[in-house]
Amino acid sequence: MAGKTIEIIKTKRKVPEALRQRHKEYLGLRKKIREALADGEATIPQISQKTGIPADQVVFLVMTLRKYDEIVAGDMDDMDEYYYYKLSEK
Amino acid sequence: MEQNMKNSSVKVADTLILGGGIAGLEAALNLANTGHQVVIVEKDLSIGGRMIHLSKVFPTLDCSACITTPKVSEASRHPGIHIQVNTGAKKLAFDAKGHWHVHVQTEPRFVNESLCTGCQDCERACPVVVKDEYQYNLVGRKVAYIPFSIASPRIAAIDIENCILCGACEKACVPGAIDFSQEPVQTEWIVKSVIIASGFTLFDPDQIERYGGGKFKNVVTAMQMERQLVPTRPFNTVLRPGDGKIPDKVAYVLCAGSRDGTVGNPICSQICCMYSIKQAQLILGALPMADVTVYYLHIRSFGKGFDEFYQQAKKMDVSFIKGKIGKISELENGDLMLRYEDIASGKIKEAKHDMVVLSVGILANRDIEKISGLENLELDPFHYLKQRQEMSNPFKTNLPGIFMAGTASGPMDIPDSILSAGAVSAMVTKYNKGFVESIINSLTISSWNE
Ligand SMILES: Cc1cc2nc3c(=O)[nH]c(=O)nc-3n(C[C@H](O)[C@H](O)[C@H](O)COP(=O)(O)OP(=O)(O)OC[C@H]3O[C@@H](n4cnc5c(N)ncnc54)[C@H](O)[C@@H]3O)c2cc1C
Ligand code: SF4
Ligand code: SF4
Repeated sequence: MAGKTIEIIKTKRKVPEALRQRHKEYLGLRKKIREALADGEATIPQISQKTGIPADQVVFLVMTLRKYDEIVAGDMDDMDEYYYYKLSEK
Repeated sequence: MEQNMKNSSVKVADTLILGGGIAGLEAALNLANTGHQVVIVEKDLSIGGRMIHLSKVFPTLDCSACITTPKVSEASRHPGIHIQVNTGAKKLAFDAKGHWHVHVQTEPRFVNESLCTGCQDCERACPVVVKDEYQYNLVGRKVAYIPFSIASPRIAAIDIENCILCGACEKACVPGAIDFSQEPVQTEWIVKSVIIASGFTLFDPDQIERYGGGKFKNVVTAMQMERQLVPTRPFNTVLRPGDGKIPDKVAYVLCAGSRDGTVGNPICSQICCMYSIKQAQLILGALPMADVTVYYLHIRSFGKGFDEFYQQAKKMDVSFIKGKIGKISELENGDLMLRYEDIASGKIKEAKHDMVVLSVGILANRDIEKISGLENLELDPFHYLKQRQEMSNPFKTNLPGIFMAGTASGPMDIPDSILSAGAVSAMVTKYNKGFVESIINSLTISSWNE
């Protein structure tokens, strides 16, 4: 069956346009975050400032990318307020 | 007896349990250990209920998952227990011989359960991210996913509503477990008795405008904080979801959506005082430099060891302020200003915190009302199952052969849910044993209720 059954469901379901758009948006945001970390580690407010993405969305995205091993957490900043995040070497 | 047709079958058991939370699991194990054939019908992708997602339990601070998982795995391996996850009851019908015919439908997970090894290759390959409901939306998950690390069964599922049908998961799955041809499967269970153990739902605090109506990023629910305190926590430490800052001054607002007629829930949720006191202690364990303040109307620490647990929190320097929160406002830096009536001084005061946890109340799970054939099931004024004989037969419903366990009958903590499951198991054992068709045949609703 491997690699085949997707064709069966494609005959029964259509992917809503809104879903495609949301996915595209996510890919764009992920790209921005990865680019913001390309030159080195940054805290959530720093990533937010670099990318223009609101800080709460940056938390969600960075933590999701951390969950899937694309990002790793580093040390705390000097004020012990924020962690630094960097791209994982994988 | 078992009859099978494509995508539908008729099966027989002694007891069907609706809901595989701690109450349902405990009842299933008690009954199966005394020789009954039990089926658990669970609507979620995993059994374990709310308890499997908690951090530690009050007042012992034992690890919640460590208590739940042995029961989960014992139930999963027990020869007398059959478990159907991702399954809901559609219709119940009582026949002339006194059996219940429970029609259930298992939704497709698009993964062949016997082939999936739980390797997560599909999850890694899937490009689509949505909010992870098992982490209470604090983080994302893929659309092909293992629900959570200690899920039982630990098998992937495809969230078809959010799937872009790219096929990457199917290509990545070496054992060939992904199967997009799956359809819903119907089962009709013929049983002597049914236990409703469908648990509770959480009050949605977005309804409370004066607490921000869900708009303030650093106001979280107690369940979100519970997730921040478990070993598989979404942020790997406690952080503000608004900007990732390590919180310094955390406030708990008790009775958020309980004992409040204005939001339609005038009753006490029984557990919020104690879980807040528990979380306050756990936060101090995770962030030793933090200040934690609990704003309360009354602390209801009525169980065994509960008052000592409350005193222990005070000794750990958790502040308790008897105060009614009038309004929460968000400041520019994401901090929160709490305006409250300080009951001791009678004055209106303000206090700044950088994170607020709403100790949300619990509500009846009204799923049961949607099941065809249960229209005459009696509920109490708050939509929990009505305990018609609270003193003599507390876990009997008004319908013959239908019992209840755990929070389906009202707010209660884990020990009480387990106790109720023990009591109902004894009642069901007696009921199933005395199940002689001629007797049941003559059983009328009035004789059941005597
Ligand atoms: C934030 C928080 C912290 C808590 N901390 C503690 C603590 O420290 N100590 C303590 O003692 N208690 C605590 N509790 C309370 C504890 O979670 C409950 O007492 C316990 O989970 C009740 O178990 P239950 O089996 O009755 O319900 P649930 O855990 O809700 O299980 C019900 C099950 O039924 C399933 N279900 C629902 N509807 C259907 C349907 N229609 N068909 C099939 N299946 C269905 C659900 O998916 C679920 O698996 C806490 C609760 C909260 C919210
Ligand atoms: S569906 Fe396949 S790839 Fe996904 S966890 Fe199961 S075996 Fe692994
Ligand atoms: S087909 Fe759906 S579930 Fe599979 S990888 Fe693509 S989006 Fe994810």
